[in-house]
Amino acid sequence: MKQDIKAEEKFMGQNAWFSIFMGVTLLIISVYPMLNKASAPLLILGVAAFFGSFFMFVVRGGFTRKMKYHLTYKDEYLNTIDTIAYKHVVLALLFSMGAVYLSSDSFALHISHSMMATFYLAIMCLVYGISILWQNRD
Amino acid sequence: MQNFIAKFRKEAGLSQQELADAINVSRKTISTVETARFTPSVIIALKIAQYFKTSVESLFSLDEYD
Repeated sequence: MKQDIKAEEKFMGQNAWFSIFMGVTLLIISVYPMLNKASAPLLILGVAAFFGSFFMFVVRGGFTRKMKYHLTYKDEYLNTIDTIAYKHVVLALLFSMGAVYLSSDSFALHISHSMMATFYLAIMCLVYGISILWQNRD
Repeated sequence: MQNFIAKFRKEAGLSQQELADAINVSRKTISTVETARFTPSVIIALKIAQYFKTSVESLFSLDEYD
């Protein structure tokens, strides 16, 4: 039982970093095709973020199996901040969809549906990771 | 809501991690309860009170905003 709580704490931290790395990767994937020229720093950042997310995915894999894919945390505080993070995700998604709705006419011709879907996924991942890290501070 | 968990814990010579292990919660739970950022459930409040052999009322008190 004690081990479960410690495993949950580690899993949550790694899950947050995985979400942030994956969010940055997806954000660059969705925004990069809009640039008119190649950007080496952005590509390097994207590749680094992808390797970061891959590394965190491998590291957290063991914990995912240990947690047996439960959707809730046993620890009350971790469960609370996880729920709040999902609320932040929904709010961010609504705001980003609203912003895209208001301004999409200006760039709609250059963007595909898959790029938009990737952009929304990026926002969701980034906000989840940042929310967990922010709430998990001491 | 105010709480005096940090005072009880320090008097008992315990770290946050030791108290967390004793009542089977995460260290962050203890840390955020002590700083009043998180209001624990009755179960956790009772566990802490039982651990310190005291009443919940002596650990927690309502303030003017509650």
